[in-house]
Amino acid sequence: MKKAIGDNMIPKEWGLEKGLELVKQAGFDGIELWLGDAPWFQMGTPDSEVRELRRKVENAGLVVSNVSTGLHWASPLSARDPKVRALALRIVEREIETAVLLGTDAILVVAGLVTPEVPYNEVYQRCLEALRPLGEKAARSGVRIGCENCNAEQRFLISPREFWQFLNDVNSPAVGIHLDVGNIHDTGFAEQWIEMHGPRITRIHVKDVMTKRGRCGDQSVYTNLFLGDNNWPAIRGAMTKVGYDGWLVAEMEARYRYAPDQQFYDTAHAMDRLISGRF
Amino acid sequence: MGITRRLFLGYTAGVFAGLRGLPLDRTSRYVLLDLNERGCFRESVSGYESALTSAGAQWMRADARWMSPSRCAVLIVPAALEIPPPAVRAIASCLQAGASVIFESGAGFATDREFRTHRVVLRDYLQVHIEQPVDLWPDNSLQRIPYVDYTWPRPAKVRDFSRVVPLGRQAGEVIARVDGLPVALKRSSGRGRLIVLGSPLGPALWAGDAEARCWLLDCLRTARGEGA
Repeated sequence: MKKAIGDNMIPKEWGLEKGLELVKQAGFDGIELWLGDAPWFQMGTPDSEVRELRRKVENAGLVVSNVSTGLHWASPLSARDPKVRALALRIVEREIETAVLLGTDAILVVAGLVTPEVPYNEVYQRCLEALRPLGEKAARSGVRIGCENCNAEQRFLISPREFWQFLNDVNSPAVGIHLDVGNIHDTGFAEQWIEMHGPRITRIHVKDVMTKRGRCGDQSVYTNLFLGDNNWPAIRGAMTKVGYDGWLVAEMEARYRYAPDQQFYDTAHAMDRLISGRF
Repeated sequence: MGITRRLFLGYTAGVFAGLRGLPLDRTSRYVLLDLNERGCFRESVSGYESALTSAGAQWMRADARWMSPSRCAVLIVPAALEIPPPAVRAIASCLQAGASVIFESGAGFATDREFRTHRVVLRDYLQVHIEQPVDLWPDNSLQRIPYVDYTWPRPAKVRDFSRVVPLGRQAGEVIARVDGLPVALKRSSGRGRLIVLGSPLGPALWAGDAEARCWLLDCLRTARGEGA
């Protein structure tokens, strides 16, 4: 297994080059690039600059683990407004295009967003209709779309079996799950999601979660690896069971108030312990 | 006159139970007028297709240029936005021939320019007056769901579609409101009946909303009952 961390973790004032250096020094093998988050990777970034971005990543001794985006929180594939949906589709297409340019084979998509306004059944249908053609496009490009399980935030596909049925309905080998083991909270157990989805897992996001804290106000339920309630030996065992040997991508919500680079070192070391199974 | 036992029983039941008791006429011609890219929501077309198919109705999708009004009992125009002249002619011909036309406006999410054109076409060719779209969720309020309340042909509560096209004051009977705004009406037109929906029903049909489906089927039954 290889380990990566998102470029959105790089302190904004550091810039890309210094950030890549830190990622490499901390011991990561790759970097997850977030479309729309950092100034160096936006929807309007032309192909030539995306190629240059890849060159910088590789010059730092890293590779791109995958392309992700948070843009679908504001422009979901499940929106009722056709113009918003068109933008959401374009975001996924751009993710696919840039994944090819960046030399990676996986993208992350937040597939749909259930809200008081847009009900579950509509979200389900719209996501199916969007992902079927996108799956074909991804397959032609040699890329897999990983729909992330953002259980609590999406209010969509909350149980592993529900997600499994959804992927069956999409019915595309190029559409799988980008599994976030920190997002399951107290609605289940990450190791069971891993067992159930096995070969459909495109990437795994790692972070820990405090299931008993609840989510009130600004208080985060997420924390660094091994500080929360995830059963990491069980998660590691499930990865072994299903033969998952791909990327583990750190997605830490809380950033260190002081010495922000220290989080990169701490996270990388914790991921080494997870990969080696030394608990 | 040839009549099957099933049809005879259907009519007999209808006498006692009123129009709602009539079975959906499987010989009637329900026509979906597909405006293709000129419509706003493809899912609306899919919603009507799915509802008609699951009800066992005999329906067909038609192109306005080639359809035959005389063979059409109910014409459904899902999520219309740009309405080309052949579609206007088809709607008018169907009404003249005695059909019911369910016209669903897809202008809720239209640009200002698209909406202006849509409004002029409706006013000039169908004498339907619509107002500017209204956003029912301006502050994403969690306090309530603004359901569309239909009163005809049956009471039904259907989820709103975020942005609705209210209807202006005009001839006809208001058959649905949301937040006090009139969003659907029916009126006689030619020898037929025009039903205008300012809140798309198709997406609710597509998402499997049971009340929306019942409302549509009652609408079809009523159209057939009055035409019989």
